Amino acid sequence: MSQTQVPQRRTPRWSRFKSSRVLLLMCLPAIAFFLVFNYAPLPGIWIAFTDFNYRDGIFGSPFIGLRNFEFLIKSGQLWLLTRNTILYNVAFIVLGNALQIAIAIMFNEIRLKYFKKITQGIMFLPYFISVVLIGVIAFNILNYDNGALNALITQAGGDPLKIYSMAGLWPLIIIVVQLWQSTGYGSIVYFAAIMGIDKGLFEAAAIDGASAWQRIRFVILPSLKPTFIILLLFSLGGIMHGNFGLFWNLVGNNAQLFQTTDVIETSVYRMVMSQNNFTTSTAVGLYQSLFGFAIVMTANWIVRRMNKDYALF
Amino acid sequence: MHSSETATGATRAIVLPTRKRGLFERERTRPIKLDASDRWLRGISYTTITLFTLFCLLPFVLIVSASLSSESAIRKTGFGLLPKDFSLTAYEFIFQSPRQILGAYVVTVVMTTLGTAIGLFIISMTGFALYRQDFPYRNAISFFIYFTTLFSAGLAPTFLWVGKTLGLRGSYLAVFLQLLITPWLIILMKNFMRTIPYEIVESGKIDGAGDFRIFWQLTLPMMKPALATVGLFLALAYWNEWYLSSLYLGSTVEFKPLQYYLYNVINTANALQNSVAGANVSISDLPSNTLKMASAVVATGPILLLYPFIQKYFVSGITVGAVKG
Amino acid sequence: MKKRTIVKISAALVALGLSATALAGCTAGVSGDSGAPTKITMLVLGDKPTNGRLEAMLKKLNERLKKQANATLDLFYVEWADWQTQYNVQLLSGDSRVDLITTATDWLFGWENAQKGAFLPLTEDMLKQNAPKTWAQVQKDGHWGLTKFDGKIQFIPEDNYTQYTNHGFFYRGDWAKEAGFPDGTITKYEDFTTYFQWIKQNKPDAVPWDVAGASNGEATLTGYMQSHTDALPLQGVSAGNYAPFETSQENPGKLTSWYMESDQLVKAAQLAKQWNDLGVWRQDAVNYTGVTRDEFYAGQSGTDQHHTQTFIGQIYNNMNTKQPGSDPKMYAFGQENKNLYKDILTHGAMAVSANSKNPDKALQVYDLIRNDKQDYDLLNFGIEGTDYVMKDGKLGYPEGYDPSKDALGSNFWAGRMDQYEPPKVTDDPAAKQIYGDLDKVARDYPYSTLVVNKSAIDPELAAMGSVLSEYIPQLEFGKFDDPAAAIKEMRQKLKDAGYDDVKASVQKDLDSWAKTHKVK
Repeated sequence: MSQTQVPQRRTPRWSRFKSSRVLLLMCLPAIAFFLVFNYAPLPGIWIAFTDFNYRDGIFGSPFIGLRNFEFLIKSGQLWLLTRNTILYNVAFIVLGNALQIAIAIMFNEIRLKYFKKITQGIMFLPYFISVVLIGVIAFNILNYDNGALNALITQAGGDPLKIYSMAGLWPLIIIVVQLWQSTGYGSIVYFAAIMGIDKGLFEAAAIDGASAWQRIRFVILPSLKPTFIILLLFSLGGIMHGNFGLFWNLVGNNAQLFQTTDVIETSVYRMVMSQNNFTTSTAVGLYQSLFGFAIVMTANWIVRRMNKDYALF
Repeated sequence: MHSSETATGATRAIVLPTRKRGLFERERTRPIKLDASDRWLRGISYTTITLFTLFCLLPFVLIVSASLSSESAIRKTGFGLLPKDFSLTAYEFIFQSPRQILGAYVVTVVMTTLGTAIGLFIISMTGFALYRQDFPYRNAISFFIYFTTLFSAGLAPTFLWVGKTLGLRGSYLAVFLQLLITPWLIILMKNFMRTIPYEIVESGKIDGAGDFRIFWQLTLPMMKPALATVGLFLALAYWNEWYLSSLYLGSTVEFKPLQYYLYNVINTANALQNSVAGANVSISDLPSNTLKMASAVVATGPILLLYPFIQKYFVSGITVGAVKG
Repeated sequence: MKKRTIVKISAALVALGLSATALAGCTAGVSGDSGAPTKITMLVLGDKPTNGRLEAMLKKLNERLKKQANATLDLFYVEWADWQTQYNVQLLSGDSRVDLITTATDWLFGWENAQKGAFLPLTEDMLKQNAPKTWAQVQKDGHWGLTKFDGKIQFIPEDNYTQYTNHGFFYRGDWAKEAGFPDGTITKYEDFTTYFQWIKQNKPDAVPWDVAGASNGEATLTGYMQSHTDALPLQGVSAGNYAPFETSQENPGKLTSWYMESDQLVKAAQLAKQWNDLGVWRQDAVNYTGVTRDEFYAGQSGTDQHHTQTFIGQIYNNMNTKQPGSDPKMYAFGQENKNLYKDILTHGAMAVSANSKNPDKALQVYDLIRNDKQDYDLLNFGIEGTDYVMKDGKLGYPEGYDPSKDALGSNFWAGRMDQYEPPKVTDDPAAKQIYGDLDKVARDYPYSTLVVNKSAIDPELAAMGSVLSEYIPQLEFGKFDDPAAAIKEMRQKLKDAGYDDVKASVQKDLDSWAKTHKVK
């Protein structure tokens, strides 16, 4: 708005504040929450630059600059780890969302009431099963000596596979397990979004003689676009974070698989496992955050250019 | 707000005559003719969903049957779909000191219900404010909230602040408060609100209602799927949480939240076998595999009953027609 | 009116007077002997028991402690599932929740935490005044030097308790006999190949040596090294989960690393490969998470690996009950070439938290639980009659007692005393003889007081840890087709990670330590 001479108005800032008092108040609990639990601890990140000891606390301990970050580089693994982490996350995001959308759409087609209730209830199950148990089950299915998979293969006349020695298979295995665990849970968002689509649109489409596929393509998918973009932008922020529990419990110390399955968190964990070290984990977290931050800012800027509405901020 | 393309590419909002029931429209099966593609889609949907459900169910079946098997059978031949050498020993062991599990249940249920209720309230309130296009600070606050997902202080700094400075270590509040709100849920709520026609807000303003009243009386009832989704996620987050409990509670409380209690049981053996402690300490009577599985069943089972109850809220809650009518 | 005012004033004065005397009374006792008993909390590791026996025992114990020191004891558990995080988080929290902290210099980061200021340095006066018996006993044996850092005493050693935690293989004497070993005793490391082969051929239901996870399989390398060289590992320096540096008995001033420099590593890896090809362990042992000790007890595994204390306290009894006639035996690594070590005296140690509000009282309580027989018995064994019974001078259990359900779980490992530890009914009766045999062969571990300056080399150590964790699990399970080539690769990577700098730095620390300490 250009500053033409509009007379007798109070400072726009004050009247803006006054008129949105209530809304501001409604945001207050959330703002307070984030201030207390997220922003207030941030100065503590300083610990990543110190040789921390309990006596002096975070700000009293000696400053050592970037020394805590050196091990990432010295291990020679940084590129491999970054690549693995990002690739896995991209796969999780793309395949995960695609699968979740597909499942949500299909659920929308289900008409049998009890079938729907039961299946939707069951689909949450994987979310609850602890990754530790998943590791045990995966071992039981995939192991060479008495695994169910090899039992099937030998019955069919083939040679049993040494799956735990075949690095190439593991991206597939890990992605399948991750999808197994999170698809049901994630599809709910999309399902609720579909529920929110104006019924009139469906009826209009029906009147227009749209086929099922056209209905999906022209009514459902566009309505899900905002949700997808938001989910995408959110996931991008965490793109440098690996799902530690999943990788650690499936792969563990099996170095034969590291080439294709090692991510930042698992590698760091092994490196500092028997040390008593908070500075390292904070340093690594900082590295991951900075990276993710850069990616998200870029992505959000791109999205904003395309459609202002969809950007996160 | 609604610029969805219809099949013919033109934007229109055709309103079929609906029975007026205020702002609510119950989902009804309309006698729409199904063409071949619809039947195909339906067929594919049923098949895929069935397969997917079995896929989700399978490991759980393995867990249940393992929990009902005898340890020696499991050691020899691994897991199977049916219990091997049926035995209830694992469950007997768990329930012989039911106090711990019952206490864990009570703690978790209380935290979950309170947390979901309060959290849902705050989240929807905030989401509403952010959705209001006439709210001048919405972008700033959105960024403020979103930024927290990009930079997290990490374990040590957060712990020092929350546990030490705020003194919440050893208190259930350390866990309860930190799960109350997440940025993701706020943004999600705001996104869901897009489906509410802005006219409702405007008509409310015209009627002279205050912002909170518009929120509470006008928009909230239209957001059943949104509230159900966010509420569900909140409840699941509270139910499933163990990490914060391990950091802030540990053994300082008598009753651990359920999943943390479970984690203790199933990870003890792993932790010992993979750390220096194992070489130095001789531990006997580690939880067996069957015990781990039985604990998982006991800790997970009940939450499954939650979804059927809220499933009824996942219905279409609005039509444009109702407003215009 | 006036009268009332006077009454009021006098009442106020009386109240003031009373509170003044009360206050005076509070500060009267230097060690707080008047007033409510002080609660002292001790941090121990282990799972918190839930069968109520601990509470019952503490009630009795605290009755005594109240009379003896006007204090009560409570235990704070750091549970196994997440112990590293929780132990460190407790120290990080800096709260006064715990007064006494169980520590160890070889595996519980004793020195690191002392350096970081987690412990309260104990002065001679403090100890003499509050823990006189402990002070005197440790002083007599000349062991305070073992716990000093920066000239100050950091913790109290568990130095009057005989234990051997040297590692080895447990095996079945009955199967060894059938495999052709005279008297079912295996005396050479390589002989295990024959033993494993026999099991593979004759016991199809059993895995010759079932191992779960990389940490438990390290013996194929470290056990071999210990049995074939005179390497003396430095416990204080670790890269990831591995202790990479050793000196040798021949040349104790010279630092070396058998991961990096020894030919024996190649031989060990080749033997491991041979064992792998033989099928000694599961194909996927690295990822296996079963409880292999239970399998040993169930006859599904022919070998188990851990230390002497486990053998004496658990293996012997369990095998004879669950597998009668199995004649369990132990082959200790280093027994052939006399390369074994007595336990360091700070394998268990008790520190006082730097944030404790009652350090003096804490020391008093410690002195009691360590030196007073009745307090000791209560804390370690429980209530006589319900938790244990004495049978002919041996400690046994009452009828119907099931250790998996009824254990006391007090886990006091930082102040046990030989004179109060009766032999247990479940112990190997040959325990004394085993200790005697070991005593003849075992040397004293010299490096328990060596504190290495880690900040100079932490990044490189972490990088080395990464390289080692990439190669060692595969080497130890014999998964490389060409172990020698893999070792060469690993060594190059270690070099790239900064091995030489680390070695120089640790050598420097070793040299300056050697000026004031002699290695026998």
